[in-house]
Parts: sequence; structure tokens; C-alpha cells
Amino acid sequence: MAPRIAHVDDDPDIREAVSRILTKNGYEVDSYLSMQDFIESLQDESKEQPDLAILDVMVESMDAGLTTYAQIHKRYPKLQAIFLTSLGDMIRPYFEDGSHEWVCIIEKPVEPASLLATINDRLRKTGEAA
Amino acid sequence: MAITEFSWDKPSSHNSLLGINGEKLKLSDDVLIRNIRWFITFRWILIAILVFFEILMLSASDMLAQLGISEQQKWPIAIIFILFTANIAYLFALDYCKPSKYNSPSINLWAQIIVDLICLSVVVHYFGSTSTPISFFYVLHIALACIFFSVRESLYVTILVCIMDTIVIAIDNFLLTQVPLSVLVNSDFLSENARRDGALIWMLFLDTLFLVVWYVISRLSLIVRNHESHLLQAYKQIKQTQVEKDQYALLITHQLKSPLDAIRSKINLIKDGYLGEMTPEMSGALEQMDFRAKNMSSLILDLLRLERLKTNCLDTAKSESIPIKTILKKCIDKLTPSINEKKIALTISVDNFSCQCIPDQLEILFENIISNAIIYSHEGMSIEIFSEIISNHQANIVIVDHGIGIESKDLPNIFNEYFYSPRAALHNKATSGIGLSIVKIAAENNKLKIKVASEPGVGTSFTIAFNNIKLIKE
Repeated sequence: MAPRIAHVDDDPDIREAVSRILTKNGYEVDSYLSMQDFIESLQDESKEQPDLAILDVMVESMDAGLTTYAQIHKRYPKLQAIFLTSLGDMIRPYFEDGSHEWVCIIEKPVEPASLLATINDRLRKTGEAA
Repeated sequence: MAITEFSWDKPSSHNSLLGINGEKLKLSDDVLIRNIRWFITFRWILIAILVFFEILMLSASDMLAQLGISEQQKWPIAIIFILFTANIAYLFALDYCKPSKYNSPSINLWAQIIVDLICLSVVVHYFGSTSTPISFFYVLHIALACIFFSVRESLYVTILVCIMDTIVIAIDNFLLTQVPLSVLVNSDFLSENARRDGALIWMLFLDTLFLVVWYVISRLSLIVRNHESHLLQAYKQIKQTQVEKDQYALLITHQLKSPLDAIRSKINLIKDGYLGEMTPEMSGALEQMDFRAKNMSSLILDLLRLERLKTNCLDTAKSESIPIKTILKKCIDKLTPSINEKKIALTISVDNFSCQCIPDQLEILFENIISNAIIYSHEGMSIEIFSEIISNHQANIVIVDHGIGIESKDLPNIFNEYFYSPRAALHNKATSGIGLSIVKIAAENNKLKIKVASEPGVGTSFTIAFNNIKLIKE
């Protein structure tokens, strides 16, 4: 079964680019405009849960991506996350101490090869942990 | 070869001003403890002086006896003993006892003042309360109380001083008929009544003086503390504004960079063939577009970095001890693609040491210097990174390239914001003139010295001097 990936970004061009790359490489992609939409879809039990979430950081507010992930991480500890942000490593200071182990940050623009490599790497880690 | 050198000495950010305890206008425990230690040292000196005089008195007792002074009293020895024991007790309470409700710096200071006042009263009594100016030493305690205590507490100390002084004068002149030490030397014996009147005036005069001194110094001290509290408020406001400014800069950077990222994401889609085949000409044009867009977005990020380094307000910007090799490795890992692209031979021979720095900033510093070395080198050239251990506490990291070099007239300006020489711009079209300003501020924040030596056409060497290092044995 193809891995399912959720992508949250308020920029339609980025959503389209990510969706195009992932679909072409055999992933199922659910794109969301806002963090709220994504959280609601997670709570909807009729929907299939994603294996990995790609989150923008500055959607709606400065740190929406980070606060959303903090919420999701508590409830769905198995769900992996990748932060895709324009600011790259500059947002690292905003994470709590000791989070360097699990936080994966990719700086925009989207580069197909490195995006796919990072996703595969993260999914393999989930597989190993399971 | 032209050389330019920069060093920065910034005062440490910790300031005793911040030791003020909110609105209560009382000094913080840290400030009190520092001064308690100073008082204790001062008291040791006093004890040493007393011991010295006591020895002098004992050895010269024959001579003093000839002058009519018979030194038989034991009070100086008692005073020395009390002060000595008390000093050890204060130190013990400060260093070995857990701070509690009954063992606070404030109580420690109170105990010191009371014991000192009692000792001083004994000294005043034996020296002569009305015939010598020794009573003026009480003023010292009032002044200290005004500086370190609140107005009310310093008033208590003043009242205590007045009471003690009154008691000593009363005992000397109205209760006991013992003749004080100094009167023994004084040949003019006053009549008993005249002496009592004089003592009464002396007592009133001294008590008034103590109260006036208390009023003046506590006023002054209150003004100073008010100013300090205003400064503290202002400091807090500045800090808050800096945080807000940083967030604003972050937001603006994001808004400026986002459209570029969307454009570049689409360019990447086309380049990687997700939107169909394209001709080599189209591919070349896309490369050029991407190059320009990339330069623009790195300029935007550099501006944010510069702004952040300048304000240096994030709480995460704490310095820690980090091994230099770890930092260098991180930078080189990041720069490997451009090193490979230019076929540059990189030689690194660094003895590992740890230094006290802000890791992110040190990384930015090295990344910028090494990246410049790569950019301004010609293809296939070499870059050397090595360390010079000067002593157990000092070391340099030197980065040498054999690139285009810097002209001597430009050298003094290279750390200025937005400066770039036409030669450099010709070699690197993407230069923003910010890179070395970032290096400068990062060095300033981490108290590092940088020395740059360069010769056009031969190359440039950057020497970064570290102080307070610890060598790491491998």
C-alpha cells in the first residue's frame, strides 16, 4: 500500500508542487490549507490516517506549525513530521531544548530529490520503530 | 602584504543594576552577599590592626607607664576575640549553612551591625565618649545601613546607634566615675559639673548629627535606587521591544522569501521533468532564473541573520563550551557542495579545543569566512584551515585561501555593512556586502579577535583568536 502523506501549506503553488512530486512517485497525498483542516481530518475516523505530515511553520500565525505539531505529537506519537519552511534552520531556536533529535527541517524551495530522500528516510525510521 | 585587525571589548552584560528587587527598592541578595564578603574582609583588616596595636602596647608598656598610662585593661583582647569569632560565624552562615528564613543575607548583615555597634560602644567607652572623636565612627554604620537597607531599617539602625551612644555617655559621665584613657594624658582636669554639662551637650549634638546623617544619606540612597529601578524598567522595555522587533523581522523575511520559494519550487519541478520535456535553451534560461532567485533569497536570509545578531535577544543565544572541530565539521559539511563544484582542495589540520561561545553564531562566523574563501578562490585552488595553539588558554584558527585577495585600500572597510569592492563584485556577482558584517557582529558577541592579511592575486588569511580555551586530548 502506498504511504499516505499529509501536507499543510497556505501557499497554493507549494501545495501543487509537493502534491505533483509525491503523486508521481507513488504516494497518496492529502493537501490542507490550514492546520485546523488537518487536525479535523485526523479526528475524522472514517478517513485513513497519514503516515507522515509535512507542515509549514508560519501558517495563520508565527508558529502555527510548531504548536500544531506539539498537539498532534501527544495524541499520535507514531506520526512523523517534516517541517517545510522558508526560514529553514532559523526556526530551530523556537523548538524546545532536546528536540534536535526528532525535528526535521527542510528549507524551501521544494527540491524533488531531497524531499523524496527525506520522506523515505523518515518513513524507514517509523518502520524500524514499529 | 596588507594586514587589518579587529578586536572587540564589550562590557559583560551582567550588571549590578539588575540586582534591585522590584518595587521594594531593596538590594537583591546577590548584591548583599557581595558586600557582606567585603565587610568581612574589612573586619579582618581591622582585627589585624587591633592585634598589631595590642602587641605594640604590650611591648612598649614601660614607656607608656612613664607617660602615666597603665595598660592593664583586657578589653582590646576581648574585642579582638569577639570580632574574630563573629567574622568566622558570618562566613560559616554564608558558605556552609542553607539559606532559610533565619539565615538570609539581610539577617547576616543585621547581626554584623549589632555586634559591631556593641564592640564600638565598648571601644568608645574605654577611649572616652566625650573627650575623643571616636564616637564619629558610629556614622560609618549609619551610612552603610542607609546604602544596604530600606529607609525604615536604616532608621532602626540610627535609633540603635543613638541609644548606644547615649548609654555610653550616660555610663561614662553620670553613673561611673572612672576616668577615661585619654583624660589620663590630658593634664587639664575639668570640674565634675562642667564635665557633666559638656557631656549632655555632646550627647545631644551627636544624636542630632546621627539623625541628620541618616536623613541625608537615606534620601540620597532613595534617589539612587529610584533611578536604578527606572533603569531596570527601561531595560525590560528594551528587551521586550527587541523580542518584538525580532519577530517582526522574521515575519517580513518570511513574506519576502515565500514568493521566491514558490517560484523556485516551480522551477525545480520543470528542471526535474515533472512538467514534460524541455529544450536545452529553456533549461539554461531556467538555471539563470534560479541562480538570480537563489541570490535574492540568500540576501533576504542574510539580512535577517544580521538583524538577529545585532539584537542578540533570543534567550537561546547562550554561550556554552563547544569543541572547535564539531563546529568546523558542521560548516564544512554544509559547504561541501560548493567545495566540490569548484574542485577546491581543502586541507584541515586542527588540534581540537573547546571554547566558550554561542554555537550558532560561531557556526555562522566560520561558514561565512570559509564560504568567502571558496567564492574568491579560482577553480582547482587550495584552502588550508589550521590551528595555532599559543598557550593552554589561547589559540588561533587560521583560514588561508589563494584566491583574488583584497587590495590594501579596501582592507580596512571589509567589515563595514554593505561594503564590497568592485574587484570582488566582478568575481562574485551575487555579493551582498553583508557576509563580513555578520562575521564582525558574531565575533563581537563572542569576544573574538579577527586578523585579516591579504595580498591581491596571492590570497587572504583570516586569523580568529580565541581566549579562554581548553585543549581537548584525543
